[in-house]
Amino acid sequence: MNLVRAEVSRLLARRFTQLMLVLLVGAFVVTIATTLASSHRPTAAEWERAEFQVVQEESRHEEMREHCESGRGTTDFCQALSERKPRLEDYLFGVFVFEREIRALVYFMAAFLALFGFLVAASFIGAELNSGGMTNLLLWRPQRLTVLGTKLGTMLGGVLAVALVATIGYIASFWVIAQANGLPGDVDAEFWGDLTMVVVRGLLLVLGAAALGFCLATLGRHTAAAMGVVAGYAIVWEVGARIVMEVVETDRAETFMLSTYLGAWMDGRVTFYDGPCMGSFAECSYSLTWAHGMIVLSALVAVVAVGAFASFRQRDLA
Amino acid sequence: MRRMTVIQIEGLRKTFRTLRGGARVALDGFDMTVEAGQVHGFLGPNGSGKTTTLRALLGLVHADDGRMAVLGHQTPVELPAVAGRVGAIVESPQFFGNFTGRRTLRLLATAGGVPHERVEEVLDQVGLRDRGDERVKGYSLGMKQRLAVASALLKQPELLILDEPANGLDPAGIREMRDLMRDLAAAGVTVLVSSHILAEIQLICDHVTIISRGRRVASGPVADVVSGFDKGEYRVRVADHERAAEVVRAAGLPVTVHDDHFVVGDLADPAWVSQTLGGQGLWVRELTPLTPDLESVFLQLTGTEPEPGAHKQVDDAVRPGSETELTVSVAAEDPK
Repeated sequence: MNLVRAEVSRLLARRFTQLMLVLLVGAFVVTIATTLASSHRPTAAEWERAEFQVVQEESRHEEMREHCESGRGTTDFCQALSERKPRLEDYLFGVFVFEREIRALVYFMAAFLALFGFLVAASFIGAELNSGGMTNLLLWRPQRLTVLGTKLGTMLGGVLAVALVATIGYIASFWVIAQANGLPGDVDAEFWGDLTMVVVRGLLLVLGAAALGFCLATLGRHTAAAMGVVAGYAIVWEVGARIVMEVVETDRAETFMLSTYLGAWMDGRVTFYDGPCMGSFAECSYSLTWAHGMIVLSALVAVVAVGAFASFRQRDLA
Repeated sequence: MRRMTVIQIEGLRKTFRTLRGGARVALDGFDMTVEAGQVHGFLGPNGSGKTTTLRALLGLVHADDGRMAVLGHQTPVELPAVAGRVGAIVESPQFFGNFTGRRTLRLLATAGGVPHERVEEVLDQVGLRDRGDERVKGYSLGMKQRLAVASALLKQPELLILDEPANGLDPAGIREMRDLMRDLAAAGVTVLVSSHILAEIQLICDHVTIISRGRRVASGPVADVVSGFDKGEYRVRVADHERAAEVVRAAGLPVTVHDDHFVVGDLADPAWVSQTLGGQGLWVRELTPLTPDLESVFLQLTGTEPEPGAHKQVDDAVRPGSETELTVSVAAEDPK
């Protein structure tokens, strides 16, 4: 318990943590302020125009539906048509509609929080290893795994607390904007259920990123090592290898990319064209779901974490 | 009465290996014994294995072989059981520059379950009481060293391990450090101190262990180690020193003639020189015993004595071949 308290003090007292918190709040404030400034409550005239356009669009949809039912439309087109119904919000321009836009905004929030978690975590351990702070600590508590585990746990707890507060504040801010200066949209129980799942997956992603940053910096003994690994992976594999795979026409090249699983995890499902193939998109595609994302990403974090703890247990400390 | 053994190291071996397959032997069967109440100096040339030994003792470096015990507990396995009784600084410890000295110590105290009142006591003890609220990055090297010592004292240790504690200290700081170590020793704290300031070690320490290229070359009470190199030499000044040297040499004693004096060795009774030369009409102006100091003993034992025109390398230090080749007999003392 003493160690946890000491680590919490250490985490909060770090300049880098404070700076990143300021940047995090700044980014969210800018996003919220921009949304607020660019939205307005629709006027009566805008409502009227939108309603007219919806009626027109519904009439067009009806014609196309008949076209499809007579067997003349392509499967993909008719499928898309059946899934998409004209809505008033589609024709209210410059109006923030919570139900339609919050998901993308939560993705942005999760990405920013994940970056925050990764950098704060990598710096938290990297600076300690680099500066000799860890050595000092081990002179007091010569239990390497306990010390490293406590540090990781404390950091994850801190990042989760920040992420929770930020998420609640962030979503609440957009809800208030929608109520005061936009539209809530069609927010039924299913919507809130979906949004909750996206938020939960986002928070888990933040924790995973923080754990990854911490463990990579532990393996590399430096904050920069974690950033270097990520930058190296992005350039060498996500860009370089992707190009090579396209050139040699590798089947399902997306399945070799972490970014694919990241997208599947956050979006719930990603679908790719599985060519060459004749037929509808549904017949010529494959999907990866959040479950695939969870398996791959959690396996990655687990492998790096086991490596980091095993290495730290054995290594000679400067 | 035999005192309790506080540190016992036997056959410690450590080889550092690089990813390219290189290997450097840091410790090659090193032995050391420190008993309760000693202020024990730990000496060795650069790269001889001092810091590696201390790090291994404190569980920071994994030894390849050998046995270590601190306060009766095997290390590193049982180190957690005694960590609260051991205060240590290893090389120049680094602290977060943005934390104040007081905050740094409080964080350590929190981690170690030490009452915060103790922080004020140690800040006062090392002379940082009035500078405790300044950020560490503004501290001089000597102040950082004082802070490091303060961190080691926080636990009120029974054993204090200090690696180069005088590093960066001004003369007043060195004297304070010396007094501090004496006070701690008087209070019953066993102190193991590694340093390159040999005159300081000779002043502070009652026992010493000297290491060279990973092996012990001498250990025992400082006076015994130094006296082991006492060759009974005297410096003699006489008006006609060359003729006087011939007279002494004729008596069968080893003589080295210098510009204005000569040195005679193996002299059991210095009065013999005055008597013999006086009988020849040669009147002695100076007859001074050349007692070796710790520095000269250290340089001889480790083979690091500078030679005119030679640029000695760090690996040119003496590497003892076996226990029987140890230069002084005190090195082979029975550790039991």
